[in-house]
Amino acid sequence: MANVVTVPRVRPVQPALRFLRVIPGVLLLAAVGYAGKLLEQNVSAYAKAHHWTFPNIEYVLWAIVLGLLISNIIGVPEIFRTGVATYEFWLKAGIVLLGARFLLGDILKLGGVSLVLVAIEIVGSLAFMTFLGRLFKLKPKLTTLLAVGSAVCGVSAIIATKGAIEADDEDSSFSIAAILALGALALFTFPVIGHLLHLSDRAYGLWAGLGVDNTAEATAAGALYSDAAGKLAVLVKSTRNAMIGFVVLAYAIYWASKGQARAVGNKAAFLWQKFPKFVLGFLLISVLATYHFFNKEQVGALANLSRWAFLLTFAGVGLRTNFSEMRKQGLRPFAVGAIGEVAIAGFTLVLVYGASKIFGW
Amino acid sequence: MSAEVAAGKTGSRWKLSLDTWAVVVALLLALLVRTGVLKHIPW
Repeated sequence: MANVVTVPRVRPVQPALRFLRVIPGVLLLAAVGYAGKLLEQNVSAYAKAHHWTFPNIEYVLWAIVLGLLISNIIGVPEIFRTGVATYEFWLKAGIVLLGARFLLGDILKLGGVSLVLVAIEIVGSLAFMTFLGRLFKLKPKLTTLLAVGSAVCGVSAIIATKGAIEADDEDSSFSIAAILALGALALFTFPVIGHLLHLSDRAYGLWAGLGVDNTAEATAAGALYSDAAGKLAVLVKSTRNAMIGFVVLAYAIYWASKGQARAVGNKAAFLWQKFPKFVLGFLLISVLATYHFFNKEQVGALANLSRWAFLLTFAGVGLRTNFSEMRKQGLRPFAVGAIGEVAIAGFTLVLVYGASKIFGW
Repeated sequence: MSAEVAAGKTGSRWKLSLDTWAVVVALLLALLVRTGVLKHIPW
């Protein structure tokens, strides 16, 4: 008798309905982000009027903290979740628009230095995380995911690698939880350390771009220090993101050679599929700005559009971070991630410090 | 493989990724600013 399997018919969601489903969450992102902006303006004015000594807290931090409070105290209701998840879309659109504030010459100059540092960071991080994974006897594919997540670009790299090496869902959610939790901690520790060490905007921006794993958190950690540091953190992080295809391809070939993943057919197509397209958009806008396609006012308008997009992103970073969900993922992968991240943060700080001495930043 | 699954796979090949959508939207906004449709963006 033939086996008859009844597969439930999946009704495709209409594009219009899909669009409607994101609206509540996007409105929540906008409300939280805008509340952060209002708090920045009003709290410092209120403190000044009442002669209080109160540090000037940027909208970035207010938006993240408000999001964290909502997510961890009352939770994000189901109706908002699809829209809140669009924060990655706003991040990438914001990075593309930020390209207007970079001249191509600056990108080549800074990108050249950061490319060398990124290469050192990636090789060092992959080697160290692999060593730690073996030391803590983690599953090899879980070690690979943690290594790629901390060396290249956080969640996107983990998702890209998971598909390529056929890792378990459980391993990838462990790795994503560890990277997100550590990214959230970096938001609060990196600016404090930067100020304690009196790092210049350039040195700090480089460090945030190299040391913080997820693009949203790296952008926020940079912006928390200063506008210039935020710009540089985005540039360095984008350089790291551009490497994702090569690292994932190398791991896919490695696991395929062990017979534990599909062989990669067309390597060029694989690289193109994994390449973050927003890096190309960023470069295109930067080329247009360099050759005066936009006048000064238009560059200002594009920069402000980029800020609005980042405002939604920072609100999303807070809203999607739920510490109790992360705790459920277990301690060992988190411990490996934490030890690795602290070591990588220290290692990249030494790299940046060395580069700042050599180049006189 | 059923025709529906095959059709779904073919359809998904042409779906734009989140990355690509972000680039398309950002470029459209840049074009609107360039052509003067969006003039002043306050912050």
